[in-house]
Order: sequence, then C-alpha cells, then structure tokens
Amino acid sequence: MTQTAVNPLVRMQEDLQRAMQKPLERRSWAMVIDTRKCIGCFACSVACVAENVSPPGVTYRTVLDIEIGRYPGVQRILKPMNCQQCENPPCVPAANEVAPGSMERRPDGIVVINYERARGREVFEAVRRACPYRLAVFFDDGRFHTDGTPARQAYEQRPALEYGRNWSRTQDQPPVNTVRKCHFCLHRLEAKMLPACVTTCIGGAMYFGDLNDPNSLVSQMLKEQRDKVMRVNESRGTKPRVYYLTDTPVLCKSHHP
Amino acid sequence: MTETERITRRSFLKTTALLGGSALLMSRLDWAREVASRAQRGALTHAEQYQLSQPQNILYSVCQQCNGQCGIRVKLLDGMAVKIDGNPYSPWNLVPHLDYKTPLASVATLDAPLCPRGQSGVQTLYDPYRITKVLKRAGKRGENKWITIPFEQAVDEIVNGGKLFAHVPGEENRVVEGLKDVYAVRDPKLMREMGDLVRTILAEKDVAKKRALVAQFKEKFKEHLDKMIDPDHPDLGPKNNQILYFWGRQKAGRGDFAHRFFGGGLGTVNRHGHTTVCQGSLYFAGKSMTDQWDGKGWSGGSKMYWMADTASAEFVIFVGASPFEGNYTPTNRTPRITEGLQKGRLKIAVIDPRYSKTASKAWKWLPNRPGTEGAIALGLIRWVIENRRFDVKYLSNANRAAALADKEPTWTNACWLVKIENNKPTRFLRASEIGLSEKELFVTLKDGQPVAFDPNDDKNAAEGDLFIDTTIRGIRVKSALQILWESASSKTLAEWARISGLSPRDLEELAREFTSHGKRAAVDLHRGVSQHTNGYYNVLAWFSLALLIGNYDWRGGQSWPSTYDILGSRADGPFNFGKLNPGALSPFGVSLIRHEVKFEETTLFEGKYPARRNWYPLASDIYQEIIPSAGDAYPYPIKIAFMYMASPVYALPAGHTWIPILQDVNKIPLLIASDIVVGETSMYADYIFPDVTYLERWEFSGTHPSVTFKVQGVRQPVVAPLTGTVKVYGEEMALQWEALLLALAEKLGLPNFGPNGLGPGQPFTHPDHFYLRMVANVAFGERADGSDAVPDASDEEIKLFLEARKHLPKSVFDPERWQAIVGEKLWRKVVTVLNRGGRFQSYAEAYAPTDTQLRVRYGRQINLYLEKTAEIKHSGTAETLPGYAVYLPTPTDYRGRLIEDEKNGFDLQLITHREILQTKSRTSGNYWLTEFMPENLVLMNSQDAQRLGLKSGDRVKIVSATNPEGVWDLGNGVKVPMAGAVQITEGIRPGVISFALGWGHWAYGAMDVVIDGNLIKKDERRGRGFHGNAAMRVDPFLKNTCLIDAVGGSAVFYDTRVKVIKL
Repeated sequence: MTQTAVNPLVRMQEDLQRAMQKPLERRSWAMVIDTRKCIGCFACSVACVAENVSPPGVTYRTVLDIEIGRYPGVQRILKPMNCQQCENPPCVPAANEVAPGSMERRPDGIVVINYERARGREVFEAVRRACPYRLAVFFDDGRFHTDGTPARQAYEQRPALEYGRNWSRTQDQPPVNTVRKCHFCLHRLEAKMLPACVTTCIGGAMYFGDLNDPNSLVSQMLKEQRDKVMRVNESRGTKPRVYYLTDTPVLCKSHHP
Repeated sequence: MTETERITRRSFLKTTALLGGSALLMSRLDWAREVASRAQRGALTHAEQYQLSQPQNILYSVCQQCNGQCGIRVKLLDGMAVKIDGNPYSPWNLVPHLDYKTPLASVATLDAPLCPRGQSGVQTLYDPYRITKVLKRAGKRGENKWITIPFEQAVDEIVNGGKLFAHVPGEENRVVEGLKDVYAVRDPKLMREMGDLVRTILAEKDVAKKRALVAQFKEKFKEHLDKMIDPDHPDLGPKNNQILYFWGRQKAGRGDFAHRFFGGGLGTVNRHGHTTVCQGSLYFAGKSMTDQWDGKGWSGGSKMYWMADTASAEFVIFVGASPFEGNYTPTNRTPRITEGLQKGRLKIAVIDPRYSKTASKAWKWLPNRPGTEGAIALGLIRWVIENRRFDVKYLSNANRAAALADKEPTWTNACWLVKIENNKPTRFLRASEIGLSEKELFVTLKDGQPVAFDPNDDKNAAEGDLFIDTTIRGIRVKSALQILWESASSKTLAEWARISGLSPRDLEELAREFTSHGKRAAVDLHRGVSQHTNGYYNVLAWFSLALLIGNYDWRGGQSWPSTYDILGSRADGPFNFGKLNPGALSPFGVSLIRHEVKFEETTLFEGKYPARRNWYPLASDIYQEIIPSAGDAYPYPIKIAFMYMASPVYALPAGHTWIPILQDVNKIPLLIASDIVVGETSMYADYIFPDVTYLERWEFSGTHPSVTFKVQGVRQPVVAPLTGTVKVYGEEMALQWEALLLALAEKLGLPNFGPNGLGPGQPFTHPDHFYLRMVANVAFGERADGSDAVPDASDEEIKLFLEARKHLPKSVFDPERWQAIVGEKLWRKVVTVLNRGGRFQSYAEAYAPTDTQLRVRYGRQINLYLEKTAEIKHSGTAETLPGYAVYLPTPTDYRGRLIEDEKNGFDLQLITHREILQTKSRTSGNYWLTEFMPENLVLMNSQDAQRLGLKSGDRVKIVSATNPEGVWDLGNGVKVPMAGAVQITEGIRPGVISFALGWGHWAYGAMDVVIDGNLIKKDERRGRGFHGNAAMRVDPFLKNTCLIDAVGGSAVFYDTRVKVIKL
C-alpha cells in the first residue's frame, strides 16, 4: 500500500555489493540527495564526525539552512553540503602543485587525499582557493573536542579507518596538520557498507550507488526524475558526482552560497 | 590484542574511574596510544582494519538521549563505545524494520538511521565532567563545594541521620532525621488497615459523620498515632509520606525498582514524576477521555493520548508539535512523513507560531496566537458540524455492541443524554430517573424515543440521535454532541479566526481538507497545545474534532501504543512480579501534590475557597507543585527528598522559584540526588550519588502512541560502568542508583529486598535478579501456554552474545548468574531478545496490505463528554468544571483571573521551541552537537525588530512582570543574566519571540566546582546560549511556582508576556 516492501538502504546495500564485485575502474560512485526529504537534522553531519573521528572545525558534511521570503510567505531551503567529488576537480592540480602526489581522482570517481603528503596550511589554502564549493575542505589543526575539559577523552583518539589505513589523532601525525574532506566513506565501501551519512539519514534523503550500473537505485532515480536534478555550480564545468533532487531547481541553485 | 593487555587496560579503567576529586574522569589515552603505534607500525590485523563492521563488536540497546527511545546499536572497540547507529530490528529506525528472526550476524553491516543526539551518546557516556564518587556537601547548599565520601558512609548517614553537616558553618547543631526515623509504619497489616479507614473517611460526604470517622481512627489506632503526620488529619497518612521521591526521566524497570523501594518498601505515597513539565494536560485530558464506566463510576482511564499514524495518513494537522525536531520522535516519524510527502500520499498542516522545520514542508503553515489552539479546534468543529461532514454512523453508536456491529473498534458518548441544570450540562441522565429501568443505565433517544443502555454491553446494540435538546419527564436534557455544537457555535468561524489570529479562509480550508480523506486524516498534538493555562480543554477540543470523523484505531487516523508486559501479569508468569513482593506496604494518604483526590473529600476542607494551593483530582505527576508544596508545607512538610535524573530548576517554567526552597534546610532537611554530573538542580543537594548513563545499565523503554507496533525495547549495559563497583548484600555491583536503593534496603531491612526479597529463597540482592526476570517475561510473551514466546537463539547467536559481552566485568555480566536467574528453559529466548535490544512485532503482522484498521488498538469507549470532570469544583475558583470542549482565554492565575501584563508594557509573548540538536537539560556536554549549533538565539520577527531597533546578533535581555531584573538568581549571591543574542527571522509570528530549550546552562560543567579542595574548572562552551525559563510568569496567588493548568496539571510555558531590552 503506502510502504515500500524493502527499505532503500537494504536495496542500496545490495547495489553496493554488486558494484564491489567489479574491478574498481568499472565502478562510478555517485551520491543523490533528495532535498525534498532533508529536514536539516544534522544526523549526517554527526555520523560523519563520529565515523571519521573529526576534530572541531572539521565537518566533511554540513547542512545549509537558508530562509527566504517575507512573513508569512517564508520558505526554508535545507541543503546538505560536502565535497562534490568532481569529475574535473580543480583542487587536485592545485594541491599537487604545492605538494606533489597529495591528491588524486580515483577511477571510481572519489577524489582522495594522501594524508602523508597533504600536510600543512599551504596545501589547504591552495585546495580551498581552487575549490568552487564552500564547506567542502577542512584543515585539521590538531584540536580535540574535549580539550579545555578536565580530561581529553580516549574516543577522540581511537583509530579511525580512512583511505584503508587506521589513523589515530594522538600526536602531530596525519591526519593532524593535514587537509581533510569527504571521501564517500571509502573504508565503509570496502567493507560493503554505505557511507555513514547515507545510512543515518532519518529523512530518507540520502542515496548512493554505482552510476555504471543501470539497475542501481541511484541510476534509476536520476533517470526517472531527470527534471528534478540539480548540480551545484554546473557552469564551472566541474561535473560534480553529488546530485540534488528538488522541485524547484532554479530556486535551489540561486540560493546556493 | 592479548588477554594480558586486555586485563591491564581494564584495571587502568577501573583505577581512573574510582579516583574522585580532580580525577573525576575517565581517560584511556595509554590504550589509544598503544593502538595508534601499532597502527603506524602496520601491525594491525585485517580484522582490526574495520572493526565496526564485525558482529562481535556491536551491542543492541535503546537510546535515552531524549525520551524517544529509539533503537540503537553501539559499536565497540575493545570495550570502548565509539559509534552509535540505529537498530535495524527496531520499528523506530527502519521502515520497514527487519524481520525479528533475521540472524544477528547477517545484519552486522546494516546500520539504520538515527538522529544526531542519539549518535552523540558516546559523549554523554564519556563526559569529562562525570562524577564517579559520592559527593557530600561541604558548603551551603548550592555553593558547589563538595567532599567525596565512601559509599558505605553515605548510606549509613542517610539511614541514621544525626549532625551530618556539622562541618558547614551555621549547621553545627542541626540534627537531620534519617530514614530510620521517618520510616514510621513498618507493619503491612497495620498500614493496610489504616489506609482502609482513611479511604472510608475520604468517601464520607457528611461532615459530621466524617468527623466521627476521624475520632474512630484515633481510637482504633491510638497506639500508633505517633506514626501519623497529624492524628487530627489521618487522611494525610503516616510519617512515611514525609519521604519524597521525584524523578525526571525514568522508564519502566528502573521505575518499578524505585517504586518497590519507596512505595512497597518505605511506604510513601510521595513518588512523583515530571509529566506536567512536558505535556501533562495532553496525558490527563487523554486519561479523562479514556475513563470507562465500571458500573459505579468512571475509572481506569489511561494516562496516555493519541498520535497520528503517519505511515498511512493522507492528511495530518500538527498542532504545537514538530516531529522533525521532537515529538516522539524524529527518527521514528520523519521517514514516514517525508516518504508520504514525496510520493503525494500525505499532506500536512502545521499550526505553530514558529516556522518549524516541519512547517517548512507543510501545505499550510498557520502561525497562530499562542494559547488559542482550542479556539481553532472549535472553529473547525463548527464548520464540520455545520456542513455535516462528520461520521454519523460512528457517532450514533452508544455502546460496545453498536460499535461491534459496525466493525468500529471504538465508540463515543456523543448521543448520550446529559442533564442540563441552571443552563449547565451536569451528569448523564440515568434510565432510573425517567423510569426506564431500575439498573444504572444511560439513555439516548432513537428516533425521539428514549433507549436505556449499558456502555459495555456487547450484545444489545444501542444507537441514538445525535442532536438532542429536549425535556423528558420534566428533566431538561441535551445530547453530548449537541453540547459540543453549542460550544463550537458560540462564536462564528470569523470570530474563532480572529481570536486565534488566523484567517477564516484558512480555517475553512483546513476543515474541508480534514474531512476529505475519510478516516485517513488525523490530528497530532503536543506541548504547544497542552502547556497553557487552558491546556486540558485545548486537548479535549482537538480530540473531539477527531471524534467527528471517527478515525481512532483506523490506519491513517489516531494511533495508540502497546507494549510487551515486563511484569509477567498478563500471562501469569514466568515471573509475575505482582506476586513477588513479600511484606510490601500499601501506602495511603493525600499526596504532597494533592493528586487524584478532591479537596472537598479531605479533612482539610472547611467549606472555604480558594484552597492554599490547587488540588488535582484528574492529574498526577505534577512536577511544578512538588518542591513549592514542600516550601509551603501544604498539606504537610517533607523531611527527606530523593531526586533521580531530574533537573527541575532548569527544566520548569519559573524553575528559579525552587532555588530558595531547595536551599532552605528547614524546608527540605535532607536532599539526596542521583545524577551523572553536578547539574542545575543536583548542585543544591546534600549528597550526589553518581549514577551510570543509559549505556551502562538496564531499563525497559516502552513505547509511544506514534509507534503502531507492539514493542518493548530493552536497554542493557553495553560498556563497563565508569563509576567502579560497591558491595551490597555481599555482592559486587556498579555504583549506580540501584546500588544505593539496595544498600538502603539492606540497612533498613526492607522485606521486599534481600536474600528473600522476591519470595522465600528467591534473593533480590543484585539488580540482575530484577531485570533479567523482566527480560524473561518479555521473551515469554503474554500467553500462559508459551505460544507467544520468541524463538530460541541459535548456537551461533549464543556464541555472538557471549563474545560481544567479553569486555563486561562479572559484576555486570555473568552468563552463569544470568542463566541461573531465568532458568535454562528461557535462557535462549532471553538471548534472542537481548541480542536485538528488545522485542518488536513484525512489520507484516502490524501492517497487512489489506488492513484498513490498525492492529495495535485502543478498542474501547472514548468520551466526548466527561461526566467525572463535570462533577469537579476548581479549588481556586469554586466553579464547577465544564465536561466538554470549550475555549478559555489565557493566561489566568490559580484564582481564574486573567493576567494582562501586556497592559504594563510587556509587549511580546514568550514561547519556546525545540531544535533537534539539544535535549532540554542533558546534552550540553555533547560536543558533536554543539559543533553544529554552539548556541541558541532569541527568534524575533523583523516587524518587532524594526520597532525595537534590533538587528541579528544584538545582545538582549528578557524581563517579565515576575522577573523585572532579567536574571537567574542562583542564591548565595550569584546571579546569571538572562541574556542572549537575537536572530531576526521571517519565520515567527510578529508579537511572539521564541528560544530553543537546551542551551544557556549554568551548571552541568558550565560552573566551577570544588571537590576535596580541588577546583574543577568549567567549560565555557557548555554554558553558551540563552535559557529564558526564569522570565516565565510566576502565579500571583501561589507565588512560588509557574502558572498552571489547574485541571490538566500542565506547567505553563507559553503564556508569559515579556519585554526585550537591548544590552
């Protein structure tokens, strides 16, 4: 009747498992965000921070909350933001110019950072200047959430798997003093799990999958809802791999910072 | 990781946790460093690479970051909780949720959704400000000077009393009575006999006879009068009632534990919850509407209310409720709503002065004038009746049999006849009054002819005419629906619209839409409806509107909750707790908050009104009355108070009025708090006992009316307690709330605790003895033949069960002890339940595609007219209460007088709202939340801002008639300004300002504390933002508490006029 037979998360996990059986270069990851179902709750943001053990100021995923109109004809645009995983990422050459080998775009579409090389504020500044998106890249300045309290807590220093390696923020070692951003939870994909922001979304607004697979949920959604699709700053030619669904693509675009 | 390493780490944890004072804290840096260094050496095994996907590292439980009670699964790295996700077995988290039989190992990689607060629970657990030792006051109350003392010493002092605070200047000679002195009546038989006679006294209506019964009491119990609070007023009960227990967030299991101790054990009636600070009048209007006819009177109403079945509804009106930000609960409700909106199945309207996130997705946002919610409902009722868009068939059914014949799960008293005396509706007409029958039957008219009926008769269907206004045998009568119609039509739609500040057109469109979906439309109410001086009647009006379309128990209509029984009473076993309570006392007497009793029935009534404070015959758990009543010693003084997981000073409107009472050692001679940090209220206690968090303990999380499945969530320990252990009854257990109660019971020798506490040879000496039996009851189900039991856990699941709990110490988890408690037969079923964090009815069972009605049902009579209410006199005004939906202007004081502060320049109405990023009093230490919203702001419409010359970011202070200074006066000369930054928005009604609850703390880590002479510095971040409750209006007659809904009991949040002053 009114319910889907299976939750989209279950369906997308099956899509994911299918994709992971293919060689890396035959996968093409994309994220679809249905802004009509986003309620601006920040579940995705907190899931991301907890998953990646991000320090203060490093929030791979945030949510914009923009009010437009005059009382009582007011509207609220809620829009999740993270690295857009561009097909033509301006950040990669910019970063590599300062620190060779610090960033690359993988064949599956994920723009990755080499934590051993993307060190220092200079690299971060280069990336930030090159990136046409706000709130996409961050610098890990070595702080902890529980600094300034009676004791720094161990959970902030637990090993967190990013880029296939366990990192612990204990000393001035990566990822401290390093450029950081969303990587579509690459380590979870390897474990056949969807990105943390997708599984935790209480609005059911987050979708993820392989665009090379016409049967994946994301492929079907983008096809069926063609007229609702928007990408941010499309005119810049970056070709983001994050797609937004909205009933008002023009309005949504005009209010993107 | 080797076993040796594991043990070393565990002892390290224990040591740090046991240290008091400046080493309040738990830190496991050594371990983190060690793992990090191995990681850098590349020495981590493959399995260690992503441990969070391994089933043996995941434990299932229930969240408590708000009262939503969503399912969680906690991911552990060698005993440390590091990440929390939603539980895919729980209907709160996944739509549809997984089939209960799905093997545990197969879902390890399936995280389900969970709101940001739930995910931040790690930071509640590992809060650097957690206390781990018993704190005893070393300065004046509220000075925040403490010493740590051994648990055993604290228990001894509380039991025996004495000069406990001789070390505090001014208290050198103060002798404190201990529990042994106030635990006066100890003989269950004596207490039962006294209680029986007191009930006779209360029931006696004749004044002279009442007096004679009091004399009889004094004669009969003359040996024991020293045990009474006041022998001349035996209805106040024994001195035991001077022990007070009140709580904030307490759920089943733990609640049963506490009631067993304070009620059956110590024999006090004063065990009060916090319901009225949340949405009391919603619950108590629901209770009145669900009272059933028992042959003599109206009783058995459920303290409960209805919500909307958002999974099937086509139209929902959310009134003063925002399911995307609160409202039981975003994780559970949001996906059902967003899916419905996106697919075009569902349309919503939101009535709220503030443009909530829910309103941002609504078909209509109706920013009403706060306090007029009842007027809106009456306007809609008027239109629905006028346009005859109500369910005639449903409303015509007068009893169970008529409902059964129509396959309706519920019925109302809409067509019943009510007597009209002096133009006022009073009692229902009885058949005997018109010679229709000699039995106690009610009457309706069918085609003009009187028909007598029993509401519970399931054979003889009675139906009636809906609109009746006539005289039978000289008795003027009207039908209940006629009375509602007259109330609704007392004003035109335009007038109702004008009162509520909305347009008549909007109301008409709302009413038309509400009646355009058959039974698949619903109303969904919360605090915005109930927390006004007229809250009870607002709620009644909205649920009356829903009765007009007869949507109760229908899919897409009003839904009702259901849980699996933990007490084993429905199936009489395997552990029927009703029979496992040897030597329990039966407390009696008028409670401190004067609930569920009429003023006129007591010996305190001398024929005069108003009473000193309000009486609450229809409500209970009236939070704002607890300490203020003790402050007035009305109806009697309190000697020892215990508070559990509560912060009324922070949470209540005008909560600051509690401070001087809490500080007064003569009014509250002994105050004991159980808390996890030094909070806004526990800072005034004499002793603070460290408790464990929801991730370290047991509880049964129950459900909410928004959950349309039969469920019972089981909260269980997922990490070792950070508080260390104590020995009670010779058993090692975590230092936590239960340990305190068990230790007090041991010292006092309470018969329903100890070696024979659950019956001869059945020990109750460890919390496990209690909670494991409850889990077994849930696993067994509710059919005596066992056919309702859950499946046995497989060998694989037993193995996972043990492996995932390896990190828990024996004092918490001992498989042999656990298995011995529940018995071999039930053990595998218990494991099934614990492995899944509870028991959940399957999706398919609750939502068969062809069903038009809900499977979880209320299934009884719903009162449109409330006879019991109509027989009550308001103790402040001496007026009889209306028994039907009316609109009452707000705000009024206890005497019923309108308060008009706006005439004195208080030009803005103050309300509150909820952001999903905080939960009232207890998440300010969750830095993952404050990262995204470091502070709250005072929301103000641009029109008001322009008038006042304010712009976003300006710092302002809020003042009101009862807080002209605009401060929180914390006592001891400390004042905190009630100031914050303003945010100019188009998303709020002009003339109204709002702030989100949860910020603006001054304790809970936001204030310096001295323990054993060591200064624990505050963290500024925890005190950011604005908390305006102290501006909320104090009742001018009661003087030491906020405005109240005198009928439904709600604490009033939304009826205060304030001024905003630029700083």
